[in-house]
Amino acid sequence: MISSTGLFQGRHGKTVDTPELLQFALAGLKNGSIYALVALGFTIVYASTGVLNFAQGEFVMLGGMLSVWAYSTLGLPLPLAGLLGVLLTGLVGVIFELLAIRPRKDGDPLALIIITVGGSMLLSSLARHLFGPTEKALPRFSEGSVNIFGASLERQSLWIFGIAAVAVVLLTFMYSYTRLGKAMRACAIDRNAARLVGIEPRMMVTLSFGLAAILGGLAGLATTPLTQTAFNVGPSFGVKGFAAAILGGLGNPFAAVLGGLTLGLLESMSVAFISSTYKDAISLIILLLVLFVRPQGLFGGSSRQKV
Amino acid sequence: MSLLEVREVTRRFGGLTAVDNVSFNVPEGEICAVIGPNGAGKSTLFNCLTGFDSPDAGTVTFAGRELVGMRPDRVVRAGVARTFQNTQLFEEMSARENVMVGCHAKTRAGFVSTALRLPWTVKEERLAAEDADRLLRLVGLEEWRDAPAADMPHGLRRLLEIARALATQPHLMLLDEPAAGLNNSETEALAHALYRIRDHGATLVVVEHDMGLVMEVSDQIVVLDRGCKIAEGPPRLIQKDPEVIRAYLGEEDPEDV
Amino acid sequence: MSGRSLNISRFLTVRAAIVAVLLLVVAVLPLFVTGTDARYVLKVLTFVGINVLIVTGLALLFGYAGQVSLGHAAFYGLGAYASAYVTATLGMPWFVGLAAAIAVTALGGLALAVPSLRLRGHYLAMATLGFGEIMRIVFVEASSITGGPDGFSGIPLPSLGSFVFATPQSIYWLVWGVAALAIMISYNIVSGRPGRSMRALHGSELGAMASGVDLVGLKVRVFVISAVFAGVAGSLYAATVGFVSPSTFTFHFSVVLVAMAVLGGTRSLAGPAAAAILLTLVSFPDIVLPGLSRDILAVVQDWEVDIYALVIILVVLFLPEGIAGAGRRVLGLLRRGVVEPSGSDSGTGQRGDEA
Ligand SMILES: Nc1ncnc2c1ncn2[C@@H]1O[C@H](COP(=O)(O)OP(=O)(O)O)[C@@H](O)[C@H]1O
Ligand SMILES: [Mg+2]
Repeated sequence: MISSTGLFQGRHGKTVDTPELLQFALAGLKNGSIYALVALGFTIVYASTGVLNFAQGEFVMLGGMLSVWAYSTLGLPLPLAGLLGVLLTGLVGVIFELLAIRPRKDGDPLALIIITVGGSMLLSSLARHLFGPTEKALPRFSEGSVNIFGASLERQSLWIFGIAAVAVVLLTFMYSYTRLGKAMRACAIDRNAARLVGIEPRMMVTLSFGLAAILGGLAGLATTPLTQTAFNVGPSFGVKGFAAAILGGLGNPFAAVLGGLTLGLLESMSVAFISSTYKDAISLIILLLVLFVRPQGLFGGSSRQKV
Repeated sequence: MSLLEVREVTRRFGGLTAVDNVSFNVPEGEICAVIGPNGAGKSTLFNCLTGFDSPDAGTVTFAGRELVGMRPDRVVRAGVARTFQNTQLFEEMSARENVMVGCHAKTRAGFVSTALRLPWTVKEERLAAEDADRLLRLVGLEEWRDAPAADMPHGLRRLLEIARALATQPHLMLLDEPAAGLNNSETEALAHALYRIRDHGATLVVVEHDMGLVMEVSDQIVVLDRGCKIAEGPPRLIQKDPEVIRAYLGEEDPEDV
Repeated sequence: MSGRSLNISRFLTVRAAIVAVLLLVVAVLPLFVTGTDARYVLKVLTFVGINVLIVTGLALLFGYAGQVSLGHAAFYGLGAYASAYVTATLGMPWFVGLAAAIAVTALGGLALAVPSLRLRGHYLAMATLGFGEIMRIVFVEASSITGGPDGFSGIPLPSLGSFVFATPQSIYWLVWGVAALAIMISYNIVSGRPGRSMRALHGSELGAMASGVDLVGLKVRVFVISAVFAGVAGSLYAATVGFVSPSTFTFHFSVVLVAMAVLGGTRSLAGPAAAAILLTLVSFPDIVLPGLSRDILAVVQDWEVDIYALVIILVVLFLPEGIAGAGRRVLGLLRRGVVEPSGSDSGTGQRGDEA
């Protein structure tokens, strides 16, 4: 119901005015940017291996945890600590691929699903041994907030938008213009053809895990000052990132970003208008709906199985 | 009336028309060959006939029943069995078990009756096993009965797939390149198996590249090129058809043949 | 020829004897559990039986039909809460609670399986994961029925008529009796027509369809059966522990169940059952080694998750056949000894299983 003053009526009788709506939208886009980064990680690995990396969410956890470690334990300044945290996460991604994915040469999808599920469990458990079971925080990159049409937005959210945007632009640039990016794409399209022109597909798979881990690590670094982090936050980021990736259509980076933002918006709008009790269930329900109704995603073309 | 009537079947993939307005009939008890260069649309046509793919237009009538839109397992129950160009065997199961899966459509033990081990299910299992052994003998694989399909040589795997298709007791069998990868003696054995199958009352449609085999066994040949049917008739006429020769040899001079 | 079939039947007798001995060991075990911590030991062994029951259902789904579920903890929970609600809140007898658990998990399995039919591999895994997480949120939030995050307490003990399973021994026998029944049912299924079509589905979906297997019906049935096994386990769990809370039915537990199924190996019931026993006991090393010091115990429990995770990864990488594969190899040697001392190529069994 829209009243004369432009108020929207929520289901619980709570009214939502325009600045408040904007506030929800901005919060949604902020979360959506994080989901987009995770979704990009899924997409990159999926494109190069055809595997869904169930450990993707753990890279978000590691990005936060390792940055916190570099900041508080090593005493590095925040920018350096963040850089180190993200790069170390990338290294973990590479090591994970080398140790757990590569030895299974036949690439059987069922086996790889299970390996990455086990990897997810192992990474989070190791993080608990190394950093302890408590929640960890990081200072904000800049304090305070800005006012946008009556809605207030924390400056940290601006950092999140910025980091996500830069990551997407760099990724696009890399894929379109650098030799490495072209090689990775070629490999995703046809492994054997790639091998013929001198690209080693195995190397590209390893790199894609590293890249996906860096993206996840960035998401973890950017979000930790706002939400804190702990050894067990990985799976929830993983599921939401996957929901975003599948909402967009798996395998297409742009669709992944769109999917992430859409999911973030849907989530915060449902909190605004429906209920916050089942907030965490919203993205799961969206995930199931998309899987059941349109598994190729909202922005993906139709696909048909070849017999 | 023909056993199988294919009417104006068309299947497009994006801009590519893989099967373009193809019609033909297969009379009961005959062996019909479908030939054509690679990518002509033969496998796509087979998929459209067996429920694995649905044509964008056209009808497929088998013994008076419409097959288009039917699920593959229903098509099998209606009496049409097939093999695949890339064999689709159950690698970890023995040859006998592979064939016994083919008996699935003709047996009925379900979860509950099997869980309770009702006597009739035990008997049904025994009969299915006997059936499978008989069919393995028919295609000459009795020695491989207990070997996993994965361990069988390539040529024999095709015969195993044929035995599995036979186990569904089909009236019509569609074989997609059954002789691919077979050596001469294996091809010879295959030809004999095909005759025997036909003599058992099945009608056959065979996609094949081996012209010797095609000319030897088929009563009728349908020639596809880039999705279109370009010729149809008995082997003697097809052999001389200039369109066919051109399709196979491209722009080269037909006199060279 | 007749000599050989005689030998095969002798081999079958050997197998039947092994099964009989195992059953006997399981049955009389409680009689030998005495001493101060007998209650605790029996509780753990009962818990092992519950896991064996769930994993048997997962063995059908994953090991035979090749379908992944990362949400089986949810069915376990559904069964537990349904049974708890019917017995504690509504005050009905336990077997009504059990029936409710079966009905609810069958419906839940159906509700997940039918829309998931088009999905395979990682998409199916994600859908089941999503379902599991949604159910966990429901367990927490639907507090008027489930008791919310604090859990549901005061669930009556299992009973049949006027007989109440009150002693740890009787509960142990009940749980293991049900588990044995489930294994027997599953064994019949996998060695008959449905099991063959499940293995065919695992091997090649195209080939199975071309053989006339109704994949839709098959997938839904297997899924429902395996969900119901978890639901029955849930009902037993709720009644024997007397308390359920959402923290039991997590994604984490779903993964532990998958670990058991994977370690057990595909196309086997005995393997997954053995794996369920082994991996459940990892959490309770003091049962196996009674003299264990508290410190070592604490370390093992601290690293329990890592052990599960490493088991998953290492087994998939280096022992893809799992315990069942190893068992088959041993039995193969044994059989060659019994059937054909000359060691020539003998027929592999028609059964898909050595259990
Ligand atoms: N699922 C599909 N999607 C897109 N194109 C396809 C698909 N299946 C077949 N085609 C195309 O259709 C054409 C016919 O293929 P096919 O029927 O396999 O030919 P044949 O069996 O005669 O060699 C080919 O150009 C092939 O690339
Ligand atoms: Mg073909």
